[in-house]
Parts: sequence; structure tokens; C-alpha cells
Amino acid sequence: MKPAPFKYLAPASVEETLSMLTQYGYEAKLLAGGQSLIPTMNFRLAQPAVIIDLNRVSELAYMRPGDSGGLCIGAMARQREGEYHPLFAERAPLIRETMPHVAHPQIRNRGTFGGSIAHADPAAELPAVMLALNAGFKIRGREGEREIPARDFFVGMFATAMQPEELLTEILIPPLPPRSGWAFKEVARRHGDYALAGAAAVVSLNEQQRCREARLVFLSVGDGPVEARGAVQALAGEIPGEEVIRAAAETAAAVDIDPGSDIHASAEFRRHLARVLAVQVLHQAYERARRA
Amino acid sequence: MAKWKPLERMDFLGKAYPRVEGPDKVSGRAKYTQDQAPAGMLYGAILTSPHAAAKIIRIDDSKVRQLSGVKAALTDVHPTGTVRYAGEEVAAVAATTPEILADALELFEVQYETLPFAVDIETAMKEGAPRVFADKANISDARVEEEGDLEAGFAKADVVVESEFRTQVQVHTPLEAHGSLAMWNGEELTIWDSTQAVHGVREGVANALEMPINKVRVICQHMGGGFGSKLQPGRYSAIAARLAKQAGAPVKLMLDRKTEFLGVGNRPNSIQKLKLGAGRDGRVTAFSAITYGTAGIGTNAGVRLPIVYDIPNYRHEHYDVFTNAGAARPFRAPGCPQAVFSMDQIMDEMAEKLGMDPLEFRLKNDANPARQQEWRIGAEKIGWAKRNPKPGSDPGPLKRGMGMAASIWWPGGRGTQAMITVYPDGMVEVRCGTQDLGTGTRTYVASVAAEELGLEMAQVRALIGDSDYPKSGASGGSTTAPSVAPAIKNTAEKTREALAEIAAKHFGVSPAQMEWQKSTITVKNSPAKKLGWKELCSLLDTEPLEVRGEWVEGLSSAGVAGCQFVEVAVDTLTGRIAVEKVVAVADCGLVLNRLTTESQINGGVIQGISYALFEDRLMDPHTGTMVNSDLENYKISGSIETPEIEVIIYDEWERGVIGVGEPPTIPTAGAIANAVYNATGVRLREIPMTPDRVLLALAKKS
Ligand SMILES: Cc1cc2nc3c(=O)[nH]c(=O)nc-3n(C[C@H](O)[C@H](O)[C@H](O)COP(=O)(O)OP(=O)(O)OC[C@H]3O[C@@H](n4cnc5c(N)ncnc54)[C@H](O)[C@@H]3O)c2cc1C
Repeated sequence: MKPAPFKYLAPASVEETLSMLTQYGYEAKLLAGGQSLIPTMNFRLAQPAVIIDLNRVSELAYMRPGDSGGLCIGAMARQREGEYHPLFAERAPLIRETMPHVAHPQIRNRGTFGGSIAHADPAAELPAVMLALNAGFKIRGREGEREIPARDFFVGMFATAMQPEELLTEILIPPLPPRSGWAFKEVARRHGDYALAGAAAVVSLNEQQRCREARLVFLSVGDGPVEARGAVQALAGEIPGEEVIRAAAETAAAVDIDPGSDIHASAEFRRHLARVLAVQVLHQAYERARRA
Repeated sequence: MAKWKPLERMDFLGKAYPRVEGPDKVSGRAKYTQDQAPAGMLYGAILTSPHAAAKIIRIDDSKVRQLSGVKAALTDVHPTGTVRYAGEEVAAVAATTPEILADALELFEVQYETLPFAVDIETAMKEGAPRVFADKANISDARVEEEGDLEAGFAKADVVVESEFRTQVQVHTPLEAHGSLAMWNGEELTIWDSTQAVHGVREGVANALEMPINKVRVICQHMGGGFGSKLQPGRYSAIAARLAKQAGAPVKLMLDRKTEFLGVGNRPNSIQKLKLGAGRDGRVTAFSAITYGTAGIGTNAGVRLPIVYDIPNYRHEHYDVFTNAGAARPFRAPGCPQAVFSMDQIMDEMAEKLGMDPLEFRLKNDANPARQQEWRIGAEKIGWAKRNPKPGSDPGPLKRGMGMAASIWWPGGRGTQAMITVYPDGMVEVRCGTQDLGTGTRTYVASVAAEELGLEMAQVRALIGDSDYPKSGASGGSTTAPSVAPAIKNTAEKTREALAEIAAKHFGVSPAQMEWQKSTITVKNSPAKKLGWKELCSLLDTEPLEVRGEWVEGLSSAGVAGCQFVEVAVDTLTGRIAVEKVVAVADCGLVLNRLTTESQINGGVIQGISYALFEDRLMDPHTGTMVNSDLENYKISGSIETPEIEVIIYDEWERGVIGVGEPPTIPTAGAIANAVYNATGVRLREIPMTPDRVLLALAKKS
């Protein structure tokens, strides 16, 4: 249970990190909280030749208010902050509500926002929540900086739109429109386990209390976070009452997702859970939007 | 026959007091085998077979030996050269660091000729399935147990219920891995072992290495659990010793988690076809069972049926099935949780058909006087009278229910030796070659001696976990307390006799005239002729007093009864079962320490919940290996899944010490299944009761 030999580098700045990434490219792996990377190295499933440790790059560890009610999260901000930092309660309550479902407190103390997003585990909560919140990611590379919207970022199982020489630096959470509500729910075997299925929803209403915009995103039912686009189309312009939500959840489970089977759950069971969770999160998000 | 003094005169026994090694454990001073690190120590590891069945054609360790930091390697650790399960020992290596060790394991070149295999019981039972042993059929001959006249019993029955139940393979998963540190001093070998049997490992290692037994010493001061899987000597101990000899340095060889899952024991699974008959009067008349179980390449996959209830006519036919998987080992109440899971469910099914309350039906068919009381106590505590009268009738998706099941156990005490040393300064040492697998043995070794000698715990030092100490058996079968406590008491009594003689000589009277009052001794009717403990011990001058004693009849007994009541909430939308409350009524005889007794019962219940809802060894029929051999994917109930557990100690001190460690894990799964039925109207006949199984069962019903 020990990693294969590797070279260890500990840059102190983003600039230094980028030049190391340029030098080592595919051979290098960035080390953030290590909660996903180190186990794979210990099991020798990953044998990177070079480790670039981001833990001394203090310019990446921050949270600050973004424009007009949004939130900016540095890649090296610890997941645990999501539970306790007042900025999250104020500006991203959906993240705060989700955080306790991510692993265990000890792991969230080390694990980072950037690490979870860059890792792109299809069973992870944060990528799904990022899609639901319409987040954007700032990526730095040799050629400068670019921003990728969450919906273009997750491209497959453990795969993102980033290049190996690139670094995720910041997560941008835009403010929610007025009359918006949100919800997150998941089903796991034990508390803290990766979910068998999970769902995040954001619902925004117009002045007539009809659905102006909605996003419903699942985790653990595909190769990455899965947006239920058919389901939200069915919601558009509607008052999201029980019937409407039930129909949307049905579309989500039957059409929008294509879950796989593994030792933890069959595809059929995941579809069932997705349906149940979709009803629950849409209902709760709608209720919150109504009261907002 | 020896007897304990009445409970009301006891200072320690029957009461709650902390473990003597508690401060060492919470401060990290307690050193487990895993923590040992003598100067110059090397790390050892075993290369295991990736194949479920294969002939080892060739093992080449030349690249291993060339790796800098490798100090020893063995290629002859497999006794026959044919591996029969993935995870079986093939070669071994020792190196200066764990990192080099991991590199070294990748450098062995092993050529296998793979053979066909069957890793699951269904495949192994099929016609023409690959044979696990060339010279034996996969399915054993029937083992039959019967009593009375089965046909007549069923003929008398007004109602007959038939049901099939299945239980999974559960793996022990103690927190501390199995393993040894082996150290040579010339021809003498010292082994630190994470074991439930220091004397057993000593014998095993001496045999394996063909050494005289007096040259082997085995030590286990603290250990992180065993649950039965550490009762026997492991191949790893002798392998560590051979590596250490070859390297000329101490070698610590702890198994990794994967090998733990594959190769050091498990609880066999079961397929159980049951039939129960009863009369309208609520008396069971007949019971029959046909059961199958796999202990991997081992035997003893039995299900202990019939169990608990008084059944006049029965027949049980059992078949062991070989599979290409690691051999089973005794696991906390072997054969019993499986049996109660099915027995107490078919009892409930019968009660429903008879239109009887399950409690009333049990009281009618349970001959055990202790359990007769316990059923009533438990029912009262859980609020049985308030339970859902109609299964599944709660409105809404969340449904609550209650269920119950029984516990039972048999063995009592047996031979154990002990020695007490009294020093001239009044301090006392107790030596006993038992070991503390985490249950609190060390603490009662001290407290029983303190109790009998009238001393404070701080005056007594308990020395255990060393094969140099007087012989005691393995810590298994819940026999440790009923074996060790009487031996300590007997030794303490003899110590008092020896001290009384010394005092008598001092006063010039006969020993029969001496009288004890706690630790003070007086000449009868001459209150002035009195010696306090310190004065008395000072008469020893410079020679410590050494007294030996042993287990004697009368201080322990066999036979344990218990029961558990459970309340669950089932989310019928997601299929999740939440156990909300467990009332565990445990038959405890003379309680040696209320705190550690409660810990045993809590632990048994938690392991029972884990068995009922989570744990499952999953074997891949294509690759022939276990697919969830890690603690992320092999699910064990965690702290958040642990409900309120109300422990009710049913103590009858007059019965002496009885075993308490195993029985509390027996009823939990059966009680949960009955509660799930009460909650939902759906019976789960297979564990673990996972959310998808719950949903499938619900879907079948509607
Ligand atoms: C027992 C256990 C349970 C867990 N349960 C859950 C769970 O339920 N849900 C869940 O979502 N997660 C879970 N996790 C994973 C945990 O949340 C991880 O912390 C997280 O997925 C990765 O974050 P990290 O900071 O530890 O990243 P690391 O492990 O350090 O890195 C992960 C990957 O991201 C890359 N990376 C890191 N930072 C950057 C960056 N700034 N730019 C580009 N690439 C980067 C790394 O190179 C690596 O490939 C669990 C982990 C454990 C050990």
C-alpha cells in the first residue's frame, strides 16, 4: 500500500506551477487535498513520475464575494469551508446544503473544491452542483487564462476539458435570479459513501410564479454529472405543482439519463432513485423559490 | 465446589469500572503488534495468487533479490504448489522500507497454469462444475441431525409454513490486520502476534518450523480485534520467522487489507430450505431443514438448526459446498446468526398464520426459564404493545415496525492456569497466559484478584498476553471469562491460604484460627492479634510469595439465553432501512465488569446490524476474485448507522461467569427482518437487506 517512486515539487506560486506543468506535461500530477489522488497512487493505479504539490500556492486558497451577489472560490479552498464559511450561506446555500454529503469531515478538511472538480468523478457531488448553479471555471495555462462554463467542462468519466499543462484556478458561482430556490438530495448506502444516485435542482420563477428557468442535475447515473434537459423543458412556463413535477421526474429518469450497473446498484435501481430524488429536489426547490 | 461470595459483598465484580489499559490505549502508549518497531526491523509481505485456481509452474525471485533494500525472499511458502483461491500465499519478501517492499512484490515472476474454478456456491453445486479438490466432490455428504418422528410431527400440525432463506459471506475485518513480528536471538524465536491465542501460536509455529516448543515465545499485549479469525496460527507467522532468519534481522509482516479479505477467514453463507409445523394451540410440532453453505476451501459451513425453540420432532440435513475461496474460520457465534435469521422469521410467519402475537407464540415454544423472563422484559422496554398491529399499515412512504429474535449460547469455562506473586512491599502480580482481544480480559484479571484479596486495583498488576505465562486457552467461544476468572479466583484463594499460614506461624497459632477481613488478617477471637496487608506482606522478608492456581468447577456455567427487540423505519421510496432502536436483553450470569459487558453487547448488536444491512463478500464469477476487498466497497455499518442501543443486563450472579461476547450478535439480523415485515408487510428472506432488495420485494407485493 505504498506509491511507486515519484519526484516531488512544491511550487509557491501559480506562475511557478505553470512552468513546472509545461516542463513535465503528461508525466506530472497536481496534488491538491490528495483525497482522491493519494489512494490511487497507494493502490498503484496511478504512477505519476512527478507530483506538483499545490498546498503552498497560497494565492489559490481563498473565497471572496463575486459580482452582484456571486461567489469566487479559489481552487485550493478546502471543502470544509463550504459548510462553515458565511459567504456560502449567503451566496451559495446549495453548496452549503450539499457539503455534508461529500465524504466525511476529516476528508473535507483536506479535500479542495478544485480537486473535486478537476477529478470529475461521476459520483461526486460538487460537479453536479456546479452544473446546477451554472458555474464557470477559470483555467490557466501557458497561453494565458480561459473560462469554461461547467456544462462544457465535464466531458466524460474522470475527464474534463482541461489540458494536462493547465491549472484550474477559480470557480465562479453566478448569483441566482430573484425568486429562485434550490435543493440537493442523495441516497448512499452509508452516510459519507459515494451516492448510489443524487440530484441537485435550481428553480427560478417569474412574477406569475411560473417556472422561468430550471436546472436538474444528477450524479452517479452516467459518465459525469448529467443534466436532465428534457425534464426542465417540460417545466418551462409551468407552475411546478405535484403533477408537473412528477411528469418532469418521469422524463428525467426515463429519457434524460442512461445509468450503468455496478456492484453497488443496478441501472434499473438507479433510474428508480433518480425518479424519486427528482421529485423531491424539484419540489423543495420550487417551495423555496415561492417563499424567496 | 467453589463459590463466589454474594454479589452485595463484592467491591468490583458486578459493578462498572474503567479498563486498566484505557489510559495506555487513548494516549497511544499501548503497543499493538502493528506498532512494534525494534531497531533494524525489516518489513515483510506475502505475494498472493491472483488466480482462483492454478498450478504454480515456476517462481523466479532473481529480480526481487537484485532490488536494493531487499534482504530476504522465499519461493517455497506454498505447501502443495496448487493454489485454490485468489489470495493464497505464493512467495514472500522482506525489505528495509514498505515502499521497497511494494516494489519488490511487483518483481516476482510467477508462471501459473490456470485451472477452472467455481467461486460461488451456485456454480460449485452445478453438475459438472469444476472441482475445487480433484479427489473430492464439491458437495459433501449429508450431515443429518434428527430427533423424534418427523412425519408424525407434521401429521399433527394444523398449519405448515415453508420458506427459503439466504445469508451472505461475512468477513471478520478486525481493525488491526493479522500479522507477526519475528525476532531471533540465536536459536530462540520471539514472535509478537496479533492473536487470540498466544499459546496456540507458539505450538503452531514450533510445529511449522520443527523447533522445540521451549525455544518459541509468543507475545500479544494489545490487539485490534479478531472475532474468531485469529484463533489459529497463520502461515504468516512462520513465514515472518523464516524471512527473519534468512535476513538476520527482525521482520514485521502484517497482511494488507486485501489479503485480510481474501485469506484469513469469514462466516460461511447459507441457503436454507425450512419447513415448520404447528398446532392451532400454538405449539410447534415439527421442523425440517435442508441447508447448504460454503466455507470456501474449508469445512464447517453449518447452520445451527433447529435453534432456540423447543421442537419435539425435527430433521436437519446439511451439505458443505467447496468453492475456490479462502477458508472460513470461526466467526462470532459460528452458525448461529444464520440460523436465527431464518428460525425467528419462520416463527413469525407461523404466528401470523395462527393469528397469534409473535411474543405469545414464542413464550409458548421456548423452554428456557431465563428467556421466558427476557422476552417479557424486552417487549416492555421496546413498547411491543404499541406496535403496528397490521404490517405495512403506516400511511405515507416512511413505515415503522418492530421485530424480535432470540439469542443462545452453550460453552462455559475450561482449564486455565494462573500464578500470583505477592511482594514483600504488598504489591501483587497476576500472571495468566490468556490474551485480551479487546474485550477487557486484562481488567478482570486484575479485578478478580483484587476482589478476592481485598485490595485496590492499583495494588494488582495484571500480566497477560505472553506464552511464558501459565497456560490458558484461545480467546474463543466466549469461554475466556468463564475460564480465566475462576482460575484467578482460585489462585487468589490459594494465595490467601498461603498468607494465612505465614500469619499463623507469626502468631504461633494454627492456620485454621486465622480470619480475613478484606486484606487484614486476625486471630479468631483475639482482635489485638491482627496484621494489615502491608505488615503481613513484610513478613515475607525478601522472598516474594508465588502461588499457582487453576480453573475449578463451580464458578462458571454453560448455557446463555437472550433476546433482542428492534424498531426500524423503512423508506419505501428509496428502500433504505434505518434501525432506530435496539433493546438487547443479555443473559450475563455474574457480571465481571458492567462497562466492558455493555461494550460487548453494543459491539454484538452493531456487528449484527452490519450483517443484516451492509456486509457482503462479492465474488466475480469471471475473474474468480473478490471485487470489494477494501473498506470502501465492503460496507461495514458506521457510527451514523448505529441506533440507540438499550442494553439490559439480565444477571444471575449465582450461576457464576458465563460467556457474553458472542450471543449478542446472533439475534440482530432476524429481529430486523421481522421488524421490516411489520413495517412494510414484506418479508426479506435474504441478507444483506439492501435498498434494491427492499424495493424489489415491495414491487413484488404490489
Ligand atoms: C473515504 C473517502 C470518501 C470520499 N467520499 C466522497 C464523496 O462522497 N463524494 C465526493 O465527491 N468525493 C468523495 N471523496 C473524494 C474527496 O472529496 C476528494 O477530496 C476530492 O474528490 C478531490 O479533492 P482533493 O483536493 O483531495 O484532490 P486530489 O486528490 O489532490 O486531486 C484529485 C485530482 O485532481 C487534480 N487536481 C487537483 N487540483 C487541481 C487543480 N487546481 N487544477 C487541475 N487539476 C487539479 C489532481 O491532479 C488529481 O488528478 C472521498 C474520498 C475519500 C478518501
